Amino acid sequence: MSTLTMPPVDQFVLNDKEKIVRHLKRFTNPINIISDPEGITPYETDALSAYKQKPMAVVLPESTEEVSNILKYCHENNIKVVPRGSGTGLSGGALPLADCVLLGLSKFNKILEIDFENRCVVTQPGVTNLSLTKAVEHNGFYYAPDPSSQIACSIGGNIAENSGGVHSLKYGTTTNNILGVEIVLMNGTIMRFGGKKLESEGYDLLGLITGSEGLLGVLTEVTVKILKKPQSVKALLLGFQSVEDSGQCVSDIISEGIIPAGMEIMDKPLIKATDNYAKAGYPKDVEAILIVELDGTESEVNILIKRVEEIAKKNKSSYLCISKNDEERLRFWLGRKAAFPAIGDMSPDYLCMDGTIPRKKLAEVLREITKLSQKHGLRVANCFHAGDGNLHPLIMFDSNIKSELKKAEKFGADILKYCVKVGGVLTGEHGVGIEKRDLMCEMFNDEDIQQQLNIKQAFDEKSLLNPGKVYPILHRCAEGGKMHAHKGDTKFKDIPRF
Amino acid sequence: MSEIYSPSSEHEVADFIKNCNSREILIEIIGHNSKSIGRLIQCSKSLNLKNLSGIIEYFPEELYIKVKAGTPLALIETELDKKNQELSFEPSDMGFLYNGRSNKGSVGGAVACNLSGSRRFRAGALRDHILGFRGINGKGEIVKSGGTVVKNVTGYDVSKLITGSYGTLVALTEIVLKVQPKNEESQTLLVNNINLKKALNIFSKSMQTSVEISGACFYPAKMSKFFKLNDLDTTTSIAAIRLEGPKISVVERVNTLKKLFDEYKKTISVLENYQSRIFWQNTTDLQFFNNSANVVVKVILPPVNTDQFINKFENEELKYVVDWAGNLIWAEIPENDSVLLRQLRTEVIKLGGHMTIIKAPNHVRIKEDFLTTVDENIKVLSLKIKESFDPKKILNPGKMYSGI
Repeated sequence: MSTLTMPPVDQFVLNDKEKIVRHLKRFTNPINIISDPEGITPYETDALSAYKQKPMAVVLPESTEEVSNILKYCHENNIKVVPRGSGTGLSGGALPLADCVLLGLSKFNKILEIDFENRCVVTQPGVTNLSLTKAVEHNGFYYAPDPSSQIACSIGGNIAENSGGVHSLKYGTTTNNILGVEIVLMNGTIMRFGGKKLESEGYDLLGLITGSEGLLGVLTEVTVKILKKPQSVKALLLGFQSVEDSGQCVSDIISEGIIPAGMEIMDKPLIKATDNYAKAGYPKDVEAILIVELDGTESEVNILIKRVEEIAKKNKSSYLCISKNDEERLRFWLGRKAAFPAIGDMSPDYLCMDGTIPRKKLAEVLREITKLSQKHGLRVANCFHAGDGNLHPLIMFDSNIKSELKKAEKFGADILKYCVKVGGVLTGEHGVGIEKRDLMCEMFNDEDIQQQLNIKQAFDEKSLLNPGKVYPILHRCAEGGKMHAHKGDTKFKDIPRF
Repeated sequence: MSEIYSPSSEHEVADFIKNCNSREILIEIIGHNSKSIGRLIQCSKSLNLKNLSGIIEYFPEELYIKVKAGTPLALIETELDKKNQELSFEPSDMGFLYNGRSNKGSVGGAVACNLSGSRRFRAGALRDHILGFRGINGKGEIVKSGGTVVKNVTGYDVSKLITGSYGTLVALTEIVLKVQPKNEESQTLLVNNINLKKALNIFSKSMQTSVEISGACFYPAKMSKFFKLNDLDTTTSIAAIRLEGPKISVVERVNTLKKLFDEYKKTISVLENYQSRIFWQNTTDLQFFNNSANVVVKVILPPVNTDQFINKFENEELKYVVDWAGNLIWAEIPENDSVLLRQLRTEVIKLGGHMTIIKAPNHVRIKEDFLTTVDENIKVLSLKIKESFDPKKILNPGKMYSGI
């Protein structure tokens, strides 16, 4: 495991562990408290499994009131709390701290109300993303954001990370698809932001907590918007002899005024990997493939397909296939959806990066990634949500070889720095968590970060909820993370640091 | 009359606010002064951002535009139009409501008020289209958040917090907005002589099909007299449903809806592209309350409660139009009827909604709550958020709530 500075362990809290566990049993059914070493092991990591840390105790509350009482108790007794949904997060947002209470929301697993007339679903946050669509599809409705992990990830976790998926160019990310939440603040206050109505007044607290990575409050109920499924959906599978051509094709589609439901590019290493794994039948003699999915009425889709076909030809596509039915369309997606397991099959370990870049910079960034791959001596494969500019390089390494994780992390950091350099951002949908925390200064200066920390204070004055995540600790940006402490003494030791 | 300062650079704004902060001087922030929304406040200085104007960058294929906060909204729309693009949340032109003539104001003002037009329920609100910003907080510090890309979860989404904060958190200097291609065709299906309940029912039914409607409003009889459209019958009530997209698809979807609502076939008609666009522009711009001297409020409700709300005030002196497929009611009441105003507020809260005073004479703006927030915890949290940006509460103090 790579070294990572986390907030200092509160020895007083750890010394009181037994007493704390005893007290926690007052607030929920005692079987919902886990504190034995074996029982807490499954909670020691999320999907960023290179980092592991056992929590002091795990609590699995069953009601909003229980969550409120637990948080209030922890607030009063200065105990850190790390909230956790399904644990599928890729940036370490649910990584426990040694002296924390890990608050698992897995028992909040019920859909509370399906309201077709107001076109929304009220649900508990532990319900999986896919279950929401499953619950309404009999009436032809669906919940739009569809992150790859939708079979397992929870809607509460989706809100924490503002998850997207492959259709966010047209349908937006989580933040555009939720109407309200019930949230409990660290001091136990239960609040509601939004509801079944289309918007709220006052500060946009719902917008603020979406993507806040569990730092501002714990969700206990969620209201999501549901949409009617489009009448017709078709896809084109396109092959190109260069990544540049595929990228230009994407730009031209958008410049022509077409907003596809999804656009995905995969590079040659990934095409090969996924085809071996999922047998999707992708063309083998191309440098990049582009999947373009279009939806709407039958005639609209047919017109758009024709227009995209023309644009693809203009951009020298060497392979072109239009889905004849849903089965074929899903086959186009098969390889893309299997991208992560396919790489998992090829390499003992991999790191998935998540920068977003201006679409037109795709070819440049991929060239840089190839260069960095040679520099760091690690293989990489790339998939790209081309519609919204979200790039997922998959860096392959072997954690059994000493120093490879560190090398992979350095490679990943170099990619993200380059994303920022070309006008992009560090993370599109996986969150900052611990993984990109120390890169925040690539995008923000001291004042920006201090402002965000001040917002955190408004919600959680003692900074007990999910501390050590998202924002760098113990140094200021200008110091580039290399603060020199000599015999515990630091320069200007009285100024606030983050 | 407060002293007006009109800086022309971000640094000048920062220096001005820093200076005011150290001397605890209260500042009212002004864009183009096109609308007086919010509680009436008194500040010794005014910060006018009209000279911070201009398009910084516009990349049509990247679907965003970066502008200075004082840029006229009309200028932005003209530039986008050249590339056949638009702001798909349909910014309202509040100039008609306020002064009886067009004045879209500045983009910063639009962001501060988060006002969105008739397409809101389909395309999202302005807050769904802001990608990033730069601004100056109450301490005179430059703060920024977001970027130019759609997918971004790097740090808190402060852009959303700023949108609709009525200038109480930062003085905006730069804004990045998402842009979208314009729709090739717009047509409007009209059902005349229909009551609100039935209108809401056809909105709901339409939204439970795959026809993707992008506008749904209801005009009671007499409220549509202002329209000057050849094909619009303004003698009775109107339910209007908009379809947009490629022409062939729009025609197909209009026909699908006509079939679905066959029971109304005697009173159904269609507004073709040109008139359809004017119809929705007029609706988004609130031209039904042109230059109103009364109190105009915006009521947001879960759509199933809209009919109940209107029924309750049927015999009162209340003029209204329903938009956003039943989610929004624009209402006008006499300027001296504070009893009715309070009754509206009580009923809105009971039905799970909220109400914002959009235009009112000063004596009402002083006395009445601008918003309806009843949850004290929300107010406490809002105050803490305000203080996290503006500890001495010098930026638009009291514009949203007393003391915030």
